[in-house]
Amino acid sequence: MNWNAWIPLLVVASSMLPGLIIFNLAEHRIRLRTALNLIGALVKLLLVGWMLWGVYNEHIFETRLALLPNLDIVLRAGPWSLFFVTLSTVLWLITTIYAIGYLEGSPHRSRFFGFFSVCVSATVGVALSGNLITFLLFYELLTLSTYPLVVHRGTEVARRAGQVYLNYTIFGGALLLLGTVWLYTLAGTLEFTPQGFLQTLDEAHHPALIAIFVLLVSGLGVKAALVPFHGWLPQAMVAPAPVSALLHAVAVVKAGVFGIVRVVYDIYGVDFASDLGVTDPLAWLAAITIIYGSLRALYQDDLKRMLAFSTVSQASYITLGVAIASPIATIGGAVHLLHQGLMKITLFFCAGNLAETLGIHMVSEMNGVGRRMPWTMAAFTIGAFGMIGVPPIAGFVSKWYLGLGALEIGKEWVVIVLAGSSLLNAAYFLPILHRVWFQEPTHPWPEERSFGNQETAWALLIPPILTALMALGAGVFATGSFSPLVWAQLIAQREFHQP
Amino acid sequence: MINDPYNVILLVAVVWPLLLALPSLHSRISWPCHLALIPALALAVYPSIVSLPLPKLFLGTRLAVNGEVRWILVMCVAIWFVVATVIHSTPNDSTYHFQTSYFLLALTGNLGAILATELIGFFCFSTLMSYSFYGLLIYGSDKKIKSSGRLYIIFLVLADVLLLEALLLAASTTNNLDYPSVRQIMAEAIYSQFYFWLVIIGFSLKAGIWPVHQWLLGSFKSGHQSAVLLLGGVPVAIGLLGALRWLPIGEHSFYATGMVVVVTGVAAIFYALWKLITYTSLKMLPAWVTVAATGVFIVVLGIGSMHPAIWRRNEYLMHPFIATLGIFLVALILSLNRWQGTHQEPDFDLQRVNVFFLWAEKGFHLAQQWTRERFFILQSYWNVDEKYQDIMDWAKPTVFIGKWSTSITFFVFLGLVLAWLAA
Repeated sequence: MNWNAWIPLLVVASSMLPGLIIFNLAEHRIRLRTALNLIGALVKLLLVGWMLWGVYNEHIFETRLALLPNLDIVLRAGPWSLFFVTLSTVLWLITTIYAIGYLEGSPHRSRFFGFFSVCVSATVGVALSGNLITFLLFYELLTLSTYPLVVHRGTEVARRAGQVYLNYTIFGGALLLLGTVWLYTLAGTLEFTPQGFLQTLDEAHHPALIAIFVLLVSGLGVKAALVPFHGWLPQAMVAPAPVSALLHAVAVVKAGVFGIVRVVYDIYGVDFASDLGVTDPLAWLAAITIIYGSLRALYQDDLKRMLAFSTVSQASYITLGVAIASPIATIGGAVHLLHQGLMKITLFFCAGNLAETLGIHMVSEMNGVGRRMPWTMAAFTIGAFGMIGVPPIAGFVSKWYLGLGALEIGKEWVVIVLAGSSLLNAAYFLPILHRVWFQEPTHPWPEERSFGNQETAWALLIPPILTALMALGAGVFATGSFSPLVWAQLIAQREFHQP
Repeated sequence: MINDPYNVILLVAVVWPLLLALPSLHSRISWPCHLALIPALALAVYPSIVSLPLPKLFLGTRLAVNGEVRWILVMCVAIWFVVATVIHSTPNDSTYHFQTSYFLLALTGNLGAILATELIGFFCFSTLMSYSFYGLLIYGSDKKIKSSGRLYIIFLVLADVLLLEALLLAASTTNNLDYPSVRQIMAEAIYSQFYFWLVIIGFSLKAGIWPVHQWLLGSFKSGHQSAVLLLGGVPVAIGLLGALRWLPIGEHSFYATGMVVVVTGVAAIFYALWKLITYTSLKMLPAWVTVAATGVFIVVLGIGSMHPAIWRRNEYLMHPFIATLGIFLVALILSLNRWQGTHQEPDFDLQRVNVFFLWAEKGFHLAQQWTRERFFILQSYWNVDEKYQDIMDWAKPTVFIGKWSTSITFFVFLGLVLAWLAA
């Protein structure tokens, strides 16, 4: 085993080990906890940077540990997995900084940061999984590690939301397990393979393969918040803002969507899935989710709940990109994985800032808040415009490639869905921006906290500004050498042998 | 490649006002709005062609100034200079810093849209300009302008969606999105008619061309002074410029489409002239002049669509036309403001209205009523429109035609035509 073979395991361990230590730290060991969190995040960042360079130069990073005969635990870095790992790693570092500021003075921080680190380890494990059984293990670990974060506040509402979350995700996990076992009995392998590994199966197995596809996608669709499995997501917004950010932008929803990507591309193969006739229904389901999520967001007054419905809608862009089964749409879907993460985490950070600084939770309380918190709301504005798809912010680039991909293979209806979604996004985000910037402030704010001359604490202010700038930069410099778009194009080239 | 150092000024012209838009920067500088114009002024007076490819920006773009663009650039610098002076003259206004930021952001978008040589760059910059202009339009103003601003933003979002669809159609047809290439390719594309209508409706919404001009009237009526001065040179001019650059005119004849466009343009001219005759508010004079002028522009576009040869011979006149219109409107508004400062504006006199027009309006109203009873979309719209009662008020027949309902009727009609052409 060479040195590169250990790197994927180290990436997972770099957050898992600090997490396990943090669990056992006393509440007052603030500096040590912060140091462990940040060191873990930085080490992970360095390792991921190394893997990015290596994968770009076609080096192999694979950890293989025997589990059962013919069934190994495999962690492997490819363009797709590294895309997701990079998103998780970068945003974990930023979210950790934010969480340190957000939870200052609150109880149970060791428990919180412990589960927070395990959650990120599970996400990275999901991303680096080299086969379905490894994916399943980390996927379930993710469920178990996020539940304590959702119920962290310990209120009755939080517990109820946690219960709903657990019910949905365990049900989804059961479906996924069933599909995995069935698939293994049929194919004899679960190894993720570019172009899939099921094409060689006899035609008599096709009905079974369709059923397995339905089981797998339904199981994954719970975390991906596909309609009708989305009910847990708006409920889970009672969690603290860093957890919401993690759920929506980095970990849970993305893990579900990423699983669907793996099923379509690395288990079935996009061409075979298309021949089986399962991609079109998936595309329709994604389209329905996009419109449904936007419509529900339109009628919310609770800001985080509105953002949750927005996630239901936006996450399905990725599924749509996959299900369109066109090379260019693949780029659109892949790049939206990162773009949506950047934009949505910005919005949740801002929502957290409003709640922590001024006690604002409702859209109707946001009148004139742009004058009180201009930097936070400038970041919110960039995130909101990005969600609408206003150029040149990152969301525009995603929509651009999704639309082009759809036209490429004659699915014009997708362009209409994208246009409708943009209109609906504008319909719920622009009135908020109007309130924020052009209406008179409501005095006094519900629960104002003073931070001296600053609008809020630095630890709360810097993360949203940083992620907003990243969302803007990802759009403005989309064709730059190190942009997410270039990496998404590499994914299309390498993993799917597309131009 | 930057082969001429002067080309860098193209980038500076756009980036400099963008940097100055930061409140922490412009609040430390005197005359920030005027300073922001210096690189653009340098470009406008530089006598030769300059061009700067920016392949890493906005999915790949290029900025350039040639003879045609220079007309628009000169107009742009002149108008923004006037407005900068207006804003600078009221530094004690509580909205000064916000206005300055919106001013500089809109200026960045305006300059970028003028200098862009391909569709995506134009789209990105014009979007920045349009949203920033909204801030300039309604900041610190009363309820009336906020209502008009709402209409502006709705039209803007609709326009952006239509133009994005057009852009996607163009990009799926050709990899080269430079204006000449798009014109040529889209004239021969399968979707050419559909593309044509998406573009013309999109830019009509942006420029406030009749019959989707309602936001323009509201803005002229109660907009902030600086925004009113900018109306002709910024949203209207960029809308017209966009139509000019994006439409595949001059390659092939779109006879039927051109005919519809000409009819619409002629109707716009007559409508505006009628309003000019019957509506005596001086404040609205520039609004109706704008509607008439954009009608003329639309007529020319329509004729060009029908007869490519005529278009090719006279196309060079279009940029000067837009530039002249922008400057004329600013001059007109300034003159009227000066005149109104010394004269009492006469009241509106209903008796002056020609009896013929009253009957024409009554007939039109009956036609609308008949349509309303048969098309639920219009019915539902009218039901929620609180101003509908005004339409029923026959004592004020002349205000009727100016209502939003008239526009939506024509808009739906155009939509139906578009759907028919797409089918």
